[in-house]
Amino acid sequence: MSATGAPAQQITGSNRFMLLILLVPGLLALMTTFLLPMIWLARASFSTSSMAAFGGGMTLEHYHAALTDPFYWKVAMNTLSLGVTVSFFAVILSYPIALFLTRSTSRWRGVLTALAVAPLLTSAVVRTYGWMVILGDRGVINGTLQALSLTTDPVRLSNNTFGATVALVEILMPYSILAMLAGFGRLNPQLEEAASMLGASKLRVFWRIILPLSLPGILTGALLVFVLAISAFVTPRLMGGGRVFVLGTEVFQEATVTLNWPLAAALSVVLLALFSSVIVIYQRALRRLEA
Amino acid sequence: MSEHHVVVDNLVKTYPGAATPSVDHVSFALPKGEMLALLGPSGCGKTTILRMIAGLIEPTSGAIQLNGREISQTPVHKRNMGMVFQAYALFPHMTVAGNVAFGLEMRGIPHSERGPKVQRALDMVKLGHLGDRRVTQLSGGQQQRCAIARSLVIEPELLLLDEPLSNLDAKLRDEMRDEIREIQSRTGVTAIFVTHDQDEALSMADRLAVMSAGKIEQIGTPREIFDAPANEFVAGFIGAGNFLSGRVTAPGEAEIEGLGPLRFEAPARIGSQVNLMVRPHRFKLAAPGPNAFTGQVDSLVYRGQILTLGISVGGKRLTADLHTHAGHLPAKGETVTLAVAPGDVTFLSEAAA
Ligand SMILES: Nc1ncnc2c1ncn2[C@@H]1O[C@H](COP(=O)(O)OP(=O)(O)OP(=O)(O)O)[C@@H](O)[C@H]1O
Ligand SMILES: [Mg+2]
Repeated sequence: MSATGAPAQQITGSNRFMLLILLVPGLLALMTTFLLPMIWLARASFSTSSMAAFGGGMTLEHYHAALTDPFYWKVAMNTLSLGVTVSFFAVILSYPIALFLTRSTSRWRGVLTALAVAPLLTSAVVRTYGWMVILGDRGVINGTLQALSLTTDPVRLSNNTFGATVALVEILMPYSILAMLAGFGRLNPQLEEAASMLGASKLRVFWRIILPLSLPGILTGALLVFVLAISAFVTPRLMGGGRVFVLGTEVFQEATVTLNWPLAAALSVVLLALFSSVIVIYQRALRRLEA
Repeated sequence: MSEHHVVVDNLVKTYPGAATPSVDHVSFALPKGEMLALLGPSGCGKTTILRMIAGLIEPTSGAIQLNGREISQTPVHKRNMGMVFQAYALFPHMTVAGNVAFGLEMRGIPHSERGPKVQRALDMVKLGHLGDRRVTQLSGGQQQRCAIARSLVIEPELLLLDEPLSNLDAKLRDEMRDEIREIQSRTGVTAIFVTHDQDEALSMADRLAVMSAGKIEQIGTPREIFDAPANEFVAGFIGAGNFLSGRVTAPGEAEIEGLGPLRFEAPARIGSQVNLMVRPHRFKLAAPGPNAFTGQVDSLVYRGQILTLGISVGGKRLTADLHTHAGHLPAKGETVTLAVAPGDVTFLSEAAA
């Protein structure tokens, strides 16, 4: 998933063998935890039995159901728009922080970087509950507004897309900060100095030097947040209060409530295909940008 | 002072938290079109001076004047100086031509006028055919020439070069030396360049400022610095030397420990302790006599036009550079006599005994 475009190092003959050996444990782990489940998922999507047992016959009916039902198209659009909105705001909010951390020469820089990504130490569930406390109908914000008699009815801040978006943006920001820090390798204070010696004001140094050079990092951060946001389940589910229908919540619904595993699998495969192609196209563009 | 193009007056820089200043009351003045080399060991403050002139860091105290105008308050982007950074600092997301055009664009020069100016600048540094290349696809020497073109195309008041040649191999470095010098004299731009390579400084600059620990030890033409160094530091830093110290026994004559009497041409009080120096190329093979020292050749390095030999005399080592066309060349183990004319002995300092 990492898209930091560091150029691969040249690998020569005898190193190659060593490299393969070193790759084996990782590849094995990926096989069992990623590839095998994916194969199972693909097989399950064609299954005729509702618990998606192996063996039975094959059918395309679940794909037919998934692709013709307008509800699922709406879910796909919801997911896409949530992903785009969340990445947009996460990037906007992370960029100044990542830029500051990269450019800072303070000796507190390490501490500040650790602080910026420290939220990763708590689980997304805990942080989602945190946002429920803040944005809930009887939460901090509404409580304050009502105590000040500014409103009588609670302002709807949670149990909707707004709440899910806010919580996802905050929860995913550390990832985009990390991705940006990794992607800002081409930023170099001397380039900024060179530009200002050539007559560029601070603003123009930003537009002509800092922004273009940090673009790969920004786009990588956006992609990472997008991928995490469209596959999120806990936060949209809890913050959406069952009223936000996205990929994660719907697959969960089909699998655990309706107990239609093959349909859940078919939905997953369709959305997987859809979003993988988005990501592949995006990465192509990103690579061209960095070349 | 108004005939001087650049005047640096009592410049001081103490970095925050530092106990001693990195640049300590440095002053110099440059006429238009002159090239000054700032020379000194690592950490002596050369880059710091350059960066203060450029406006990239603020002086602790002191003044910098350009064309008789104080510029300490002028922001970097309005100083109109060209800078060639040690690592070139080319913009990696632009082409060669894009890099060169950047400064013109910042000056609001219309697109139609930029093209020809960029082409002329690139032609000057022999990169005319590579304008469309990305700078990441240039060799080290080409990158450097691109950086020079970029800094010259804006017709700067002053060109600053921070060890522009240190990343290049020896052969390319020699070529670039000549090229920079040639471009500088052709464009008539006043230039300050930093180096810690004495050959580079001697061969390129009109004048040299030799620095040590934040201070200028001596400033002068290459010849003055080489032939009349102001003190031991300068003498030792520029060129090789045989350092001899002794007591003055008669007017213009000192008794050098282990060597015997040496005559020199400088007023020194009888009885005082003097430090003298003889450059290796000042020694000649001669018959034993006054101002001559005899010893066995114990090292010999053949350098094409020059033969460097070392002899031991009374526990001291003397080094001499002889021209290889000077007839007989001594062999190792041979006993030779090296003589020096009194006028070729450099007087460095004198201390009351
Ligand atoms: N940003 C800084 N903060 C604190 N001290 C600094 C800073 N930059 C330089 N110094 C100190 O100031 C002194 C002079 O540094 P400067 O870079 O000017 O040396 P230099 O003569 O250019 O050396 P070199 O030949 O190695 O490039 C050094 O002792 C250095 O440690
Ligand atoms: Mg330096």
